[in-house]
Amino acid sequence: MNPQAQPAGPPAVELGPPAVELVDVSKSFGTNKVLDRVSLTVDRGSIMVMLGPSGTGKSVLLRCLVGLLKPDSGKVLVFGEDVAALDEGRRRDRDKLFAIRRRFGMLFQDGALFDDMSVFDNVAFPMRLHTKLSEEQIREKVSDRLTRVGVAHSERKFPSELSGGMRKRVAFARAIAIDPDIVLCDEPSSGLDPVMSATLDELILELHRTLGMTFIIISHDTAEARKVADTIGMLANGRLVTYGKAEQVFADNHPALAQFFTRATQGPIKVV
Amino acid sequence: MGLISKLIEFVRFTLLALRLQFTTLPPRDILVTQTVDAGWGSLGLLTMLTIFAGLNLSVQSYGSFERFGGQDLLGMFAGIGGVRELYPVMAAVVCGARIGANLAASLANMKISEQIEALEVMAIDPMRHLVAPRLWAVTLSLPLLCGYADVIGLGASYVGAVWQLGLDGGSFITQVKEQVQLSDLLTGMFKGLVMGWLIAVISCFHGYTVAKRDGAEGVGIATNLAIVHGAVMCIVVNLLLSWMIYG
Repeated sequence: MNPQAQPAGPPAVELGPPAVELVDVSKSFGTNKVLDRVSLTVDRGSIMVMLGPSGTGKSVLLRCLVGLLKPDSGKVLVFGEDVAALDEGRRRDRDKLFAIRRRFGMLFQDGALFDDMSVFDNVAFPMRLHTKLSEEQIREKVSDRLTRVGVAHSERKFPSELSGGMRKRVAFARAIAIDPDIVLCDEPSSGLDPVMSATLDELILELHRTLGMTFIIISHDTAEARKVADTIGMLANGRLVTYGKAEQVFADNHPALAQFFTRATQGPIKVV
Repeated sequence: MGLISKLIEFVRFTLLALRLQFTTLPPRDILVTQTVDAGWGSLGLLTMLTIFAGLNLSVQSYGSFERFGGQDLLGMFAGIGGVRELYPVMAAVVCGARIGANLAASLANMKISEQIEALEVMAIDPMRHLVAPRLWAVTLSLPLLCGYADVIGLGASYVGAVWQLGLDGGSFITQVKEQVQLSDLLTGMFKGLVMGWLIAVISCFHGYTVAKRDGAEGVGIATNLAIVHGAVMCIVVNLLLSWMIYG
């Protein structure tokens, strides 16, 4: 499939114009070209899973979406606003960027929980800063989020007292705390046991179904991709080698994707 | 990174930190936590060291003054030398090392564990949220610590002079009263203000500019640099301020 092409068929949830659109995005670190003219569209209310071997720029892609990294060239359109064109040094642009960022929730690879806050305060933090909810309402909402991810019993604990998997779940609860329009997940299932990983997949599907959240998921987990993805992409060597509706991508069976799914050592993906 | 580019980065960081410190209100809870940690948390260490320094000042100066029969000048020496120079610098260097290491290590750890990126994604300016309250906390705490060190140090010198060396207590107090002015005390506290701000900005810079790839080693290096650069700057700035005020 042509990676520049729009995904075939209707999106899972039709809610309007694209949530995210990348147009010819390139990014290099020194001589290492991490993203090479990547173009893709993520429909509002869909679940996009980006697969790819380690070090191929998947996390860089996520950081470009929220303006943490600026691409060398290309456009990063989030709800129609070009994030790449915003200069954080200018107050007006920074306000725009912050307004865009408030529409995101992000699950970091290692959780990125605040060490000096309890689990409860970590999840309540974005609510206290960005909403006018009362403490009582915040308490209810935090409790709901923690229950959804299965760590309601740990709200008084601190991140250092949690296992890796629990930290990841709390971080997910924080990412969805203020019902963001787009949830970015960097390796959500890494460090989780298969059952909890499947539970998280179910939660993603439920939030997608009930709240219409858009998910952009970076993953190595092919089972997760099969289960949740409306749209699948694959990055290899900085290039988007395949992108489209999940069933179409599976039918096309690009050699890189086939290698990834079959865990073959031989193929277009080279281990450096 | 070259020295010049690091210096340019430091100047940029400092200007941004200054702007944020004086144009936005720092988050109250972080400001209170950091002030308590910087001020209250340093009291034990400062008390212990200042007592020893005060005693030592009496003993050493007594030995020197005794040679020409000027033991009665000990109060003057302990007062002027201590309040104007020794105790403010000691408070700044000792507490600065403790506070600076804490600031640099905590910020560096937040950087490598993506906590600072998490703040940015939540549309929170980490410089405003993390750096500005720390600058205020240390800038406000250190003058008070300097004043506290003056009192404890003078007290220790008095104890050393009167109880250990057998000097007349009334004479000691008269010397101190006559020679040490309120302006000397305020000057020491002013030095603490300047040195506190410098320690904070240097420590925050070293912690904040650690890259994720630097890992735990980066945290260690940032902490080390914060202590060393903070201490050196305190000594240099104290000399400059003394020269400007008393020179």
